[in-house]
Amino acid sequence: MLFANLLAFALLVQTGSAPGRVVNLVLPRSLTEGEGLAAELTLGVLERGAEIQVETMSGKLLGVISPHGIRSGHEAGTYTVPVPVEAISNNRVSLRIIRNRHPRGKRAPTPQELKSVKLTITPGNS
Amino acid sequence: MQSKKSPFTRRSFLKTSLAAAAGAASLPKASYAFRPPHTAKYIRYNVTSEGGKRALESYARGIQAMLSLPPSNPQNWFRNAFVHLMDCPHGNWWFYVWHRAYCGYFEETIRNLSKDPTFAMPYWDWTVLPEIPQTMFDGVLTPTDKAYEPYTRTLDVFTAFIKPALMTYWNSLDSPQRKQLSIRGYNTFDAMWNDVTGNGVPGDMCFATTANARYLSRTNPKLDPATAKNCSPEVIEAGLKPIKYYDPDVSLSFTSTKTPSHTTPPGAGTKFSTIEGFPHNKVHNYIGGVGPLNPGPYGNMTNFLSPVDPIFHLHHSNIDRLWTVWTRKQESIGQPILPPEPDRTTLSNEEFLFFVNGSGQFVGPSRALEYLSTARFDYQYEPGFGDQEISKMTQKRGKTQVKGVIKGNRATLTLPSSAIKEHIAAAGATLVSEVTVPHPSSGTQTREFHVLVGAPEGETADPTSSPYFAGTIAFFGDMTHGHGKTGDATFAVPLPKTPQAFKGLAATNATVEIRIVPAYGQTQPLLKSATVRAL
Repeated sequence: MLFANLLAFALLVQTGSAPGRVVNLVLPRSLTEGEGLAAELTLGVLERGAEIQVETMSGKLLGVISPHGIRSGHEAGTYTVPVPVEAISNNRVSLRIIRNRHPRGKRAPTPQELKSVKLTITPGNS
Repeated sequence: MQSKKSPFTRRSFLKTSLAAAAGAASLPKASYAFRPPHTAKYIRYNVTSEGGKRALESYARGIQAMLSLPPSNPQNWFRNAFVHLMDCPHGNWWFYVWHRAYCGYFEETIRNLSKDPTFAMPYWDWTVLPEIPQTMFDGVLTPTDKAYEPYTRTLDVFTAFIKPALMTYWNSLDSPQRKQLSIRGYNTFDAMWNDVTGNGVPGDMCFATTANARYLSRTNPKLDPATAKNCSPEVIEAGLKPIKYYDPDVSLSFTSTKTPSHTTPPGAGTKFSTIEGFPHNKVHNYIGGVGPLNPGPYGNMTNFLSPVDPIFHLHHSNIDRLWTVWTRKQESIGQPILPPEPDRTTLSNEEFLFFVNGSGQFVGPSRALEYLSTARFDYQYEPGFGDQEISKMTQKRGKTQVKGVIKGNRATLTLPSSAIKEHIAAAGATLVSEVTVPHPSSGTQTREFHVLVGAPEGETADPTSSPYFAGTIAFFGDMTHGHGKTGDATFAVPLPKTPQAFKGLAATNATVEIRIVPAYGQTQPLLKSATVRAL
């Protein structure tokens, strides 16, 4: 019990010390050889100049969504960022999603800014 | 000029594409087997190569000439950028093809005005070089150069220069053009001009002063880590991976959303493909200063007057190059390079109404299908990132090839029945044949051949509607082909997905017979080789 609490505390510290929202996702099934994984993020309205950064829990940057060609006040659309297989643990993936707008800094995106995240398995070419 | 093992010719591609646009009931499946020409008239070099550096000298001369033209001339530098502002698609499946056309006509303009008949736009391979090439800070190759000041020193200066001529042009637009502009949200000239000024929102201003026109500089040329990440090998490889030109599931789609019009603005419901959504968007925005210059105004690259910055065309040359890399990958693995019907016709028939050609004439209505191959502008790319990566993908597939025994116009081979059943049951083709035939010689009447699988002897009914029909391979144009030297041509043709085409499926292995017959005329084709591979 004590051990479990310590683990939970450690997780809270990790989440609290870094900006962003952590999302935990379960793969629909295990990957087969050649298949890849992608995270599909659907965004709402973002302030001009705001970007959405996607990282693994170890801090590896996977990609940055920088809306282009979107009129002010319009939703930014859906984007697919590749997720390395190393990020999979026990058929699960945890991602840290950060809303960044220089110079105001980084924070967790609101539910209005990040509407959904899902994992998709991408077929292999071989 | 083709190699001995000749690819499907560019003209062949055009022919089948035209057939698609005409609403042909049955499109030859082999039109998927397009391979780019081995030698095109123009070479788009990597900007860092000697050829690329030479091209930049001509590019600079062409820009200078365009800057010198009056604003009433559609080839004026800024007028050219307004074609993009008024008509560019983003977040939809015409993104690639529209920009190919826009950049292709622009390339012709530079070729003419620079008086360099060999000019082709170089590309900036940001995966390999994640910084603006130093040469792109020389003279008019940067929009911060003093040569731009007479036009872009301030918004008032720019307005006085361009607005009257632009309004005259606006008033000359016809009904179809106005309809497309309306879809974009430009119901009036003022609505369009609001995007130039930002209408009070600095970050929305497409105009940039000379001093602020490009965020990156000679002493600060590097893409930041986030932008470099979006251009990294893993992101680009993921972007090249989809095996469909379009799929509603964007993770499976090479292109972005299918929309009613190419001028449909992106927003809710828009799904960005990886290459458009990541390297394309972020490179645009970072060069314009999104981040460091928040809340704007940004440099040109961030908004729709982005072609004011000459780096735009090197950036889009690389995006277009990646489309050609993807196309070659698709061909190599026997997958389509275009969507199936009826989507293909929808994609092909979209009208583009605002282009200006290299002679300064309005092109008038042209359709997307004219630009789906590189043939319209007759160029190819010096190899860059992605070429080797797709080769690796192709090599893996070679392990599962089965070669047929040839006799006359037929090949016989044995495949596991389980593989055939999987192929029949799958949503797409998992078994693809590669059929090699000699290129027809001059004077040969028969230039099209049907590929049949398991067809009974004497099958004479319209083969295109039979369960044995795999596709039609077609040659088009001048059959003299390399001054009388004929080579072989190989076509990738997915096997039919009908049980009737395969015999003995109850056994462990089944015999498959592939046959080619003339689509018309009497000339019996000679089958040089046929293989089948599992995808």
